[in-house]
Parts: sequence; structure tokens; C-alpha cells
Amino acid sequence: MATAVQHYTSYKARPFTREQRDTTTILFGGLTWKHERLVQGVFNNLNYKAKPLPNITRADLDAGKELIDVGACCPTIFTTGSLVNFLKTEVAENGKQKTLDDYVFLTAGACGPCRFGQYHESYEMALDGMGLKDFRLFLLAQDQLDQAPEKGGGLEINMPLSLGIVWAILCGDMLTDMEYQTRPYEVNPGETDRVMKESADYLFEVFQKRPIKGKKWGLLAWHFLSSYFADALRVVRKKFDAIEVDRLQVKPKIKITGEFWLQTHEGDGNYNIKHWLEQEGSEVLPPPVAVWLGYLLHTPIWRLQKKAVVDRKVKTKIAMVRGMEKLYVGTYNRFRKALGNVPYELPDQEELKNLASPFFHYELRGGEGHMLVGKALHAHLHKHANMTCELSPYSCMPNTMSQGAMANVQGRYPELLYAPIEIKGDAEVHALSRCQMILTEAKKRAQSEYVEAMARTGMTVEKIRRIEEKRPALKKATYRIPHMGYASTAANYVMHLAGAKAAV
Amino acid sequence: MQTWFGKKASGGSPPPSPRKDRSGLRVGIPKVLNVWSTSQFWVGFLRDLGIESENIVFSSDTSEEQGREFGKGRGTVDCCYPVKSISGHYGELIFGQKKKINIILSPMIYSLPSFMRGHVSETLACTRVMAGPENIKAGFMKESDVFADNGIKYASPFLSMAEPEVVPKQMYDCLKDIFGVDLAECEHAVEAGYRELRAFNKKMRDASREIMAWCARENKPCVLVLGRPYHMDPGIGHEIESDLQAHGYPIVWLQYLPIDDDLMNWIFGEEIKAKKIRSALDISDVWTSSNSSNTNEILWGAKVAARFPWITCVLRLSSYECGMDQPTYTPTQKIVEAAGTLFFKFGDLDSTKPAGSIRIRIETIVHYLAKYSDQIIQKKLVLLPPDCPLLAGKEKTLAAVASNEK
Ligand code: SF4
Repeated sequence: MATAVQHYTSYKARPFTREQRDTTTILFGGLTWKHERLVQGVFNNLNYKAKPLPNITRADLDAGKELIDVGACCPTIFTTGSLVNFLKTEVAENGKQKTLDDYVFLTAGACGPCRFGQYHESYEMALDGMGLKDFRLFLLAQDQLDQAPEKGGGLEINMPLSLGIVWAILCGDMLTDMEYQTRPYEVNPGETDRVMKESADYLFEVFQKRPIKGKKWGLLAWHFLSSYFADALRVVRKKFDAIEVDRLQVKPKIKITGEFWLQTHEGDGNYNIKHWLEQEGSEVLPPPVAVWLGYLLHTPIWRLQKKAVVDRKVKTKIAMVRGMEKLYVGTYNRFRKALGNVPYELPDQEELKNLASPFFHYELRGGEGHMLVGKALHAHLHKHANMTCELSPYSCMPNTMSQGAMANVQGRYPELLYAPIEIKGDAEVHALSRCQMILTEAKKRAQSEYVEAMARTGMTVEKIRRIEEKRPALKKATYRIPHMGYASTAANYVMHLAGAKAAV
Repeated sequence: MQTWFGKKASGGSPPPSPRKDRSGLRVGIPKVLNVWSTSQFWVGFLRDLGIESENIVFSSDTSEEQGREFGKGRGTVDCCYPVKSISGHYGELIFGQKKKINIILSPMIYSLPSFMRGHVSETLACTRVMAGPENIKAGFMKESDVFADNGIKYASPFLSMAEPEVVPKQMYDCLKDIFGVDLAECEHAVEAGYRELRAFNKKMRDASREIMAWCARENKPCVLVLGRPYHMDPGIGHEIESDLQAHGYPIVWLQYLPIDDDLMNWIFGEEIKAKKIRSALDISDVWTSSNSSNTNEILWGAKVAARFPWITCVLRLSSYECGMDQPTYTPTQKIVEAAGTLFFKFGDLDSTKPAGSIRIRIETIVHYLAKYSDQIIQKKLVLLPPDCPLLAGKEKTLAAVASNEK
């Protein structure tokens, strides 16, 4: 039979062997620099060389567009472009073969119905386009902690690695929450960023030195029970203690939601919108990655409950997942406590589901599923934010659907301030001016909350300053302001100082 | 001839006498998205519940007029046309019926009963296919509940159609109050629905096989359409394939390609033996993330087109802003063209039929088909074993076909 025709086959990564481990650097990305720094610590802890890709820039968008099929969503283009630009520089500096030998790229995969599960197809196309088809790319399924060793054994996706990454993410969330609650109110500009850098470096070391106690269940138990990480976070708390804040500055609180990559990202990929919002006089409520992990952890319960027959076996499985979830949330809360409970609690997944249910079915998958609707309502009804800013890539399949459903939500809750921002990557002015319009209203709301709180409590600025003088701890970044029924921090602060009852 | 939205039972066990008289209920189904590949399930299901055939109303084919007349102002976001157009279908069922509809049934199809199940990771619907109804519903509820205002009940069951064992419960949860059904009735009706769907699919596959066998016997080319099921909707796919058919080229749709063992073995047997793939429906050689049902089928269809000698040309249809198709553009083209099969893509299809450019491109395609088909057939024939099952029973063997050509 003739064999002249070679049928098309897709990319298959050549092996990354155990022997190559010492000379090969694992590249990764997709989170904030803080999370990535800690994840790097985890890799080093397990004797891998690892390095996050440089933070995303506009140039990555152009590089990505050049090499993948038209019409991709901007997270795909940015992340592909980022890898492309890194490799281009490496090839230019060290040559093709050395680049192929020295690096592998690890990316998260998903078996979801949207493009997120297909990002790697774009990476592969880009590698092909660059003439680097031999570059090694591996997928890390985000819903499995223990996966079969990748071909060659160079990278073992096992419990020590996966647990390390999850714990690094939780600690990264803690840092991020502290950062965004502190910086808008810092008295000495730049102090928060400096402390953040110090804290991330410190935690990097902590992860790098993590003791590996046990293999599977033993290791899992150690992670849940040991005080190793909470102690480290207490050290971080001390660093934040030194930052002086003035929480009487009236700022609207803006909750960020949206497509996973865009909402997490801090940089050109989302027009640096979190930074921009702060510059515009807001306090940003950043989205913890832990909420997504919590969703992944919780959804099996819904699937199990839907089984045709819910027998003892299924019930046991449900109980096991619930147990795991309790430990997970418990760990998060332990970390929060180590930081004086300043970082926010995780929302209850059942509540998010119930809030979203009339508008968006909780089993619909892709992107953040029903959570975008649930989170916006959660923030609004609990008065956790004055406005929700939802970041969606242009043409994002799941987000366009839930955004449509938000029209229904807004019909029923006209008071909910919702700013869906479409991100293309190169239309900054349009996106930010759209956000600005809704932000103006959020500012007004924060101001009236403050005025109302002052009026209700009879407080004045002078009185508050006097109290602060007597109680200097109030001016520490680690002093927790309890939620007193208002969204904005200043109004809650006033209520708290007056010893008033919660507003609602 | 089977019609996609025909409402006559194709056989099987007769419906049980339903526990409630539902003969007066009129049920409207928006004829959109994956209803195009599951319509006969709905017919079987509803008939089994005692809904009269004439009371099962599918909305019309998509058209700009439909959107203008019934869907205007109801859209909530900008997205691909197959989803955007749904507002017009809802509106038509609410406002455009002579005889009033009582229930609108618009399923959220989460996963599909694809023939590739078991050979791929998942057979999920596109995230917009599954969530489309929630999105469109919002446009009819944001100011007031238009369904209720018009005396219509809105039913949108969330369905994992790839898992028939969970479907009765899913149906029951959503429809118990609306139709007054119990779980046992749902179980029976779901079974009837799947039976109808299987029977319909079989007939369609047999029909495609006949076309392909004719091409093999006559040594004539045919054209394969690679698109999503709803590209069969004249308002979504703009009947591009019909324009080509008018030039005498038989058309087959990937959704109804025959999957009989003999044919599959002929096409993929060597590769299975060589352990390049596990089965004829395995696409892991060309696509890693085999999660999306329609995408999987498109990639598999491309593989068939690359190998089956008499498919000499592929028409790739894709809607404007389709996020599922986007990462597949280059791979499908590369798969199809590897052995010389012609590949023509009609991308960015939207509400308006670009009649002029389609006409010009059809002329080009016809020209290429006429010029290269024989060559392509020969080139692909020599890559396959000699005993084509489509020629079985005929004295004409493949070798004979080949030598005739010489
Ligand atoms: S597959 Fe494409 S065209 Fe179809 S609903 Fe999804 S995004 Fe729209």
C-alpha cells in the first residue's frame, strides 16, 4: 500500500525525562506575580527548576495574534503571546536547540466545554508557527491532584506538587486580600507594595523549605493540621502591622469578577484595571483563586446528588467530599485568622447556587458557570461591594451567556450596580470609560453611606481622630474593621468606632 | 424521505396511555442549536406523554424577518448568530401562532448522545448551546414575565442527554408541575424519545451510505459538509451546500455519515492495526481536548473526508464569532488537505446571506471539483485496502475502478 501521504497528526510532546530535571526549567504562568512566586517555591521545594513567564504586556497580544487562528479570546492570545515572546528571546539569545532542551511549559487544562479546555491547542499552533514543534508542553488537569506521571518522569504531577500548588494559591490569596485592603488607605505611599514584595519573598522561602511529611494521606493530613503555613502568615502579619492606614478616606468598594484569567490577572492583559480603579479612588475587592477551587471541590456533590440512584455508596462519597470541603474552608479560615481575619471569608457555594438559580442554572458549565450571577448578587445583597465589575474577554462564550442572564437580575434588582467590561486587549480607552461611568455612581453611593453613618452615629472627623490617637492599633493595616452593614470601608469604620449596631 | 422535524412515529412500542389527558396541550419548541440533532427525541418524548403530533410545534427556520418581527429588543448580549437568533424563535412561539401555545419547551442541553461517546473524553454541548435558553429567557423577563403575561408556561429542563439514565429524573424535576408527569411516565417517555432518535439517525446514515455507495459505484465525487447541526437551518447555514448540489454534486453531512463496521474498518482498519488510533471513532491522533460533542464530530468528519476517496471536497461552515470552531480552523483544514481533498471554508456566517460572494465561490468550487476530483479519488484509493465494502456484491472491484481510470 502506498504510504506517501502522511495524514495529519496533532502535537505530541516529546518526553521530559527524569535525567533532564536538573537542567530543565519548568515555565508556568496565568496567576498573579504573588501566586506565581509561591508556586515557584513549591517547584523548587521538590527539586525542580521553575520560573514564571514574565508578566503579560501588550506586545504579547500582537505576538499571539500573529500565530493563532483569528477570533481567539484575549486570554488565549495573551498567554500564547507571552510564551511566544519568551521563547523568541531565548532562541535569539541562546539558540533554538538550547531553548528546546532547557525549558518545558506547564499549563492548566480543563475538560470544560469552553475554550479554556482548548488553550493548549493554540499554544501548539503557535509553537508550530515558530518552528518549535519540538518544544515540550504539558497539561495539568486542574481537578486531579494525583495524575499519572507525564511521559518520561521528568515532571511528576503528584500529591506533594499538587498540594503545594493549592496551598501556595491559598497563601497567595491571603497576600492579595491584604494588599488590596491596605494600599488604598496607606498613609505612606509605596509602603504596601514594599511589604508585599518582602512578604512574597518570605513566603517563597517558606514554600521552598516545606518539609515533605508522608506520601499521600499522611502528607494531606500534614497540610491540613500543621501550623507551618499559619505560623508563616503570622510573620507576614507582623510586616503588615507596620503599615499605617487612614480608613476614613471614602472610597467605593468594587468587586472584581469575570472570566478566570482576566479577573485574576494584574497587568496589561486587563488594562491593569485593578490598579486603575485604585487610582480612581476605589477600593478593589480582588477575586480569590480559592473560590474557583472551592467550586471545583463542591460541584461533585451536585453531580452525585443527581445520580439516578442515591444509594449508600453515593451518600458516602458525598460525605467524603463534604468532609474535604470542610477541611479546605477550615484551612482558609485558619490562614485568615493568622492575618487577624482581615482577608475575607469564602462565599458559601450553596448560597451562590441558590442566589443564581432563578437566573442561571447551577449545572451550566464553562467559565465561572453560575458563579458570576451568584457573586454579583452575593456582593449586592450582603452589601460587600458598592459595584461589581465583571471582566469578560470579547466573545467569551460562557460569559456572554451569564451576562445576558444578568439583564434579568438587573430587572429584579435595579439597585445592583453592575459593570460588565468587555476586554479585547487593545481597546483600553473604551473599556475604562465605560467602567468610569458606573464608577461615578458607585462613588456617590459610598459617599452617601459615609454621610449616613456619620449622621446615625453622631460622629465627626475630629472625634474619630481623637479615638485613633487613643487607640493607635486602629491605624494598623492589620486592624480588622467588622462589616457593619455598609459596603464601603469608611462607613463601616465610623459605625465600628461609634460602637453602633450594624446598619441593616 | 425523513424530514428533520417530522412528527410521525417511526415504529417501536406504542405509547402507553398517559395518566393524564394532555391531548389539548400545545407545546412549542424553539428549533435552534442542538434541537437540530435531537428533534426526534422531543417528538418521541412528547408523543409518549400524550401530546398530539399536531400539537408539537417547532418554530420556523431562522430568518431575519423572524428576528425583526418577533425578537426585536429582546437580545441581551452580542454573540454568535445561532444563539442571538433564538429570541426570534421564542417570540414567534409566543406571538406568532394562530393557535395558542401552552408551553414553551426550550431544553438546556448539557451533553449530547453522540455516536462518538466512549471514544472521546466527553460529548458536551457548547457552553452557549447549554446556557443559551437562560440568556434568551432574560430578554423575555427583564421588564415583565412575557411568558406568564401571554398565558404560556416556560420549561427549560437541564439535560445530560449523553447519560440516558439521568435524563428521566432531570425531565421530571423540571416538568412535573408543568406537565403534571410522574417519574415513571418520564422514564417511559425518555425511552421512547431515544428510540425515535436512534431510528431517525439510522435512516439518515443509511441514506448517506446509499449516496456514498452510488458515488463509489459510479466513481463520482461527493461533497461533505463540516458544520454544526444547526447549519442545516437555512437561516444559519444559508443553504450553501444546496447551491453546490444544484451543480450535480451529492452532499453528505458529517452528522449522518455511515458508521457501519465494514466501512469503518475499510477506512480506519490499517491505522487501528498499526495502533495509531484505538478505534475508528478515536480522534486522539488529531485533537487532544475531545470534550465538545459537535467539535469532536467535526474533527472526525474531517478525518473521514481525508480518507474516503469519493469525498473530494469539504465545505466547512462556521458562524461568526463561534468560539468553539475558532481553535479548530487550522487543524481541520490540515486534516482534510493532507491527502489532497479540497477544502473550502465559509466562515463568519451571520444573519444575512452573502449571496454574491457565495455564488462566486461556488463557481470556483465547481471548477476545482470538475478539474481535480478524479485525481483526488485515485490518490486516496491507493491508500486504502482494495475491498471497499460499498462495492461489495458488485463485480466491480476497487482495483477495477482504479484501472478503469487509468
Ligand atoms: S458552537 Fe459556536 S456557533 Fe454554536 S453556540 Fe457555540 S459559539 Fe455559537
